[in-house]
Amino acid sequence: METSDQADYPLAPATFARAFDSSPTPMLLTNAAHDNNPIVWVNEAFLNLTGYGRDELLGRNCRMLQGAGTDRSEVARLRAALDAAEPIECELLNYRKDGTAFWNSMTVNPVRNADGRVTFFFAAQADMTDKRSVEQAMRGTNDELERQVGQRTADLQAALEQKTALLHEVDHRVKNNLQVISSLMLLKARRTPEGEARDALSGMAERIGALSTAHRMLYSAGDVTKFNLSDFTDDFLSDFNAGLDAERTKVEARIDSIAVSAAMAAPLALMIHELASNAVRHAFPQNRVGRIGITARRTETGMHLMIEDDGVGIDAGPVNPAGFGRNLVEMVVRQLRGTITWRDRGPGTVVEIAIPLAEDA
Amino acid sequence: MIEPALRILVVEDEALIALELEFLLDDLGYVTVGIAASSAEAIALGLSTAPDVALVDIHLVDGPTGVDVARALSADPRTTVVFMTANAKRIPDDFAGAFGVIAKPYSERVVASTLDYVAGCRAGRVPAPPCPDGFCRAPE
Repeated sequence: METSDQADYPLAPATFARAFDSSPTPMLLTNAAHDNNPIVWVNEAFLNLTGYGRDELLGRNCRMLQGAGTDRSEVARLRAALDAAEPIECELLNYRKDGTAFWNSMTVNPVRNADGRVTFFFAAQADMTDKRSVEQAMRGTNDELERQVGQRTADLQAALEQKTALLHEVDHRVKNNLQVISSLMLLKARRTPEGEARDALSGMAERIGALSTAHRMLYSAGDVTKFNLSDFTDDFLSDFNAGLDAERTKVEARIDSIAVSAAMAAPLALMIHELASNAVRHAFPQNRVGRIGITARRTETGMHLMIEDDGVGIDAGPVNPAGFGRNLVEMVVRQLRGTITWRDRGPGTVVEIAIPLAEDA
Repeated sequence: MIEPALRILVVEDEALIALELEFLLDDLGYVTVGIAASSAEAIALGLSTAPDVALVDIHLVDGPTGVDVARALSADPRTTVVFMTANAKRIPDDFAGAFGVIAKPYSERVVASTLDYVAGCRAGRVPAPPCPDGFCRAPE
């Protein structure tokens, strides 16, 4: 092989011409020495690409392939490279003889003679129309997908806004209704002569007040699914202590910052109200002085609540036939699946309540 | 020196709440100069009575117009406006010129301590506890 290669060199120009003529890659040569840089040679593949006959191309400038859609700045870039006799790759929208457009990707190289002077430009072309249309289709598909995602996001956003507006509306109505109920109770209490009926109405107004305090804390800030027991107790006791003779009785609380589910807010509020007001009503007869302590701490499985007073103790208190407060407390503890014990520790009463809480509470 | 009792305008469309509030204000030693259920009534009563304090609900008979009422009433420098609403989220950032807001459902104690606080501020006293809880003062 080696010997035969050496024997054939240099190849005859006709051999080159045949090789280039039969190449599947469209190619041409232009005469750089001539002002108009005319085409002096094209191969078969170039004729097939453009649809022109050889005699229609020879002697003419390549710009004959350009048309209305051809990017002028890309043409200018090509022209500058030719003027500077530098190689260039560019992609132009060109037109066939029949007027159809195609994307012509070309590499153009100056060909120098023995003196180094540029005598020809050699250009090899490739039809990029298919690649362009795939890109175009991809862009279209992407745009459509983005449009759909945008639409879906907007729909979800609108649904969320509607839901939030509804939540605010319901929250507003509940709070307003609690205020109406409270006003109704207080109005009726005002019109009722002093005695059992009036005390009952005032008692109910107080219970509604405790529920109202709990409800006011819900949805007012942060996580709408949680209820902070210590925030509630602070507010509740400010109200509660304001109604007591500070010289005689005072309720104090030490509450861990415990966040419980919002659904537990109302029962817990009622329970704490009943225990505190029960202690105030029964533990300190005959102007006895005393204090009531409320503590709550988080345990491994839930919450431990303790209400203690230094009063006369449950056994010494008057028998309360209705015993509504205590019933209410036991009912609520049951509802919260907790346990409760009442102890007389002389002096005073201790109530201990254990309430299970969910793991993440 | 005994300061004259605050003269208070109640702007509230819920008749039961307004009536109970009037009794409460009376118990606390204040004078209720009028009760308005709509924005037009409220603004007219504001002009004719020039109250010291206006307690203004946001939702009135004619819609969520309490904000406009607050803006109109607080234009008179003699009047301190306090919102009383279950819908504090409707209050604009500048509080429409109001002094603060009492959140509904409120307790009688919060109304009492807030009015005490407002009276103190109007008289130029610096009240000891900065702000009663259940009351939220407008940003400076």
